[in-house]
Amino acid sequence: MRLTIGYLYPSIMSQYGDRGNIICLLQRCRWREIDAQVKALEMGDKVDPSEIDLFFMGGGADSHQRLIAQDLVEVKGEAIRKAVEEGAAALLICGGYQLFGHFYRTFRGDDLPGLGILDVHTIHWAAEEGSIIKDITTAGKGRMVGNLIVEWQGKTLIGFENHGGRTYLGPKVSPLGKVLLGRGNNGRDGWEGAVYKNVIGTYLHGPVLPKNPHLADYLIAAALSRRYGQVELTPLDDRLEWEAHVHALQRARQAKGEAIAKTSPTGPKAWAHSLADRFAASLKALRPS
Amino acid sequence: MLSSVSPARALAVNVGKGVRWLLRRLGHGGTTLPGLIALYLYRPLIGDLGQAIPNGSLLVTGTNGKTTTTRVLAEALRQVGLMPITNREGANLARGIATALLSYANVWGHYRLPNAAIGLFEVDEGAFPEALAQLQPRIVVITNLFRDQLDRYFEVDFVASLWQEALAHLPPKTVLALNADDPLVAYLGETVANPVIYYGIEEVQLGQKGLEHAADSRRCPRCSVDLMYSASFYSHLGHYACTACGWRRPDPKVLAWRVQLGGLEGSCVDLVTPYGPKTFRVPLPGLHNVYNVLAASAAAFALGVEAEPFEKAMARVGAAFGRMERFKVGQKEALLALVKNPSGVHQVLNTILSQEDGKAGLLLALNDNIPDGRDVSWIWDVDMERLKGKISWIVVGGLRAYDLALRLKYAHLLQDQSNPVVLHVAKDLHRALDLALEQTPPGGRFYIVPTYTAMWELREELVRRGHLPPFWEV
Repeated sequence: MRLTIGYLYPSIMSQYGDRGNIICLLQRCRWREIDAQVKALEMGDKVDPSEIDLFFMGGGADSHQRLIAQDLVEVKGEAIRKAVEEGAAALLICGGYQLFGHFYRTFRGDDLPGLGILDVHTIHWAAEEGSIIKDITTAGKGRMVGNLIVEWQGKTLIGFENHGGRTYLGPKVSPLGKVLLGRGNNGRDGWEGAVYKNVIGTYLHGPVLPKNPHLADYLIAAALSRRYGQVELTPLDDRLEWEAHVHALQRARQAKGEAIAKTSPTGPKAWAHSLADRFAASLKALRPS
Repeated sequence: MLSSVSPARALAVNVGKGVRWLLRRLGHGGTTLPGLIALYLYRPLIGDLGQAIPNGSLLVTGTNGKTTTTRVLAEALRQVGLMPITNREGANLARGIATALLSYANVWGHYRLPNAAIGLFEVDEGAFPEALAQLQPRIVVITNLFRDQLDRYFEVDFVASLWQEALAHLPPKTVLALNADDPLVAYLGETVANPVIYYGIEEVQLGQKGLEHAADSRRCPRCSVDLMYSASFYSHLGHYACTACGWRRPDPKVLAWRVQLGGLEGSCVDLVTPYGPKTFRVPLPGLHNVYNVLAASAAAFALGVEAEPFEKAMARVGAAFGRMERFKVGQKEALLALVKNPSGVHQVLNTILSQEDGKAGLLLALNDNIPDGRDVSWIWDVDMERLKGKISWIVVGGLRAYDLALRLKYAHLLQDQSNPVVLHVAKDLHRALDLALEQTPPGGRFYIVPTYTAMWELREELVRRGHLPPFWEV
């Protein structure tokens, strides 16, 4: 069996280690002796809809998205849409997810046109609230940054989100899953990601696939189904993957606890408590070991 | 202004000093907490005290190389009789600077400084605009701009635009020392009216043709079209030109004409400044340290310091703590290098690739506390695949040890038929250190490559075991 991955704008949309998803897909195919190839689809490159089985696009800065939006819609749009309708799979992370929707309104308030393959639209929090970003503190205020746990098909997905855009879903897509920890699409409705046919859009960085092998295999099977119908994938030894998954879940919950402990209880009582803790710690340090 | 007594400033100074005394007594370094508390009590502390320094201040910022650059520069300034006041422990946020300044304030909150005093502060990329506004420095050194801690500073372009904004309000006489080989940093020189001294490496033979994967900036900062590189040293540093708008790497005034890399022993550099040429030995390994020395030379040149005292300074500089420290554990040799981002790891990998042939070991330690960056996805931008055949075992440790383990599994190092790497996972860093020592034979060598908070934990343990001195004695 063979599988061709179309990697959209690898030199521009590759900011957050998302290429780890490509490394993961390639290895999991090779371990099963599936002949997997990556085809880079850079600016100006045309897409052959019958060639690509699985599209991938990672996240990038607003300025990077601005660079490629027009090329994505005008040069590649029709071919990608045709492939998707015929059953090609896609994994779109963050900026890629946003540009597969109808539009992305940036923090400046202007709209970057998207492909509209996913019935979603995204508005930067600052554009939505009419705030002006002057420095790091304001930029960080509405941004959704942190570990993200999502419930998907009865199992968890673990990753890291880092986005200023709030994404809203239309009727033609379903959410990928329910947010168990973190913010997800918009920090309000409790959902994360969007699914249409074999296309998955999500805010999960991490990169998402290595620590979520069930999602990686779901995508490989979906991508193969277009040429080979229903495919039963050979199981792999995923003990290390699941160990990493579980440790990341624990760490995410623990880090969340630390963040809450740091911010939530204020006032003189909490202050006295923390002072007492420090004092106790100092006494401990004084004791000869 | 300083002759009048400000009760708030005096209180802030005294409380801060008290806290620092207590922390040192308890065996902590106390490089940030005293300043944090003093700043909380009296916000304009840095500006008030900092501007009273007789010879003004120098600020060093950038993603990588701040600490080493500052240390080299401090040594050179001492050679010409100046007395640098630095935040040299690498505690480079506003609170670190405040802590450094506390030592020189008396009980009234007044400054007591010798005439030779000069401020030399390294500041974090994000704290840079505020430090700039408060300190009104004479000279600003910007080393480079890499992807680092994206969860804190989001993206490289954003940091660049913040810097540009901050630099627009500089006093007109402030001199900028900028890295000509980093397009994002060099472009800052185009946006200001201030005098600029560019520095860079001219030894194009060291360059490669393509860019490494971790290169962050491949586009013209002026017109966003792809930059063409005639030589690329590492990441996005090199000789570049824009094919569309014609903007190109500015010609450096302080440059490394010839560079001979000598592995762990450091490099030999022919440095050219407007004072003339000079051959140096840089006792720190790697091309990144050549850049650090160039940055320091450019700043020294801006102050009117010639190359002569600089050469003496060079001989005295050891590796800044944690940045490629070399030490012995019994008969075993250890090299410790702090990493913060893919580019930093690639520098360590380059050293390993040039030194090792498969016998040495590697201890990688990844934490995700706030100073490390909460997001660990950047490890997938590191070309771990390059370690193939160069290393015999790897121990992964820290809070995110399993993320590292997975990265190495997918780099196909563990299942390699001809030369499989033995992998051990130990989240507990003391255990990880034990495992690393167990596997190193007498006379053998291993590399310790931790992120920030993991480095502190490992370092503390190494100090406790007597292999390293405490950092405030370094």
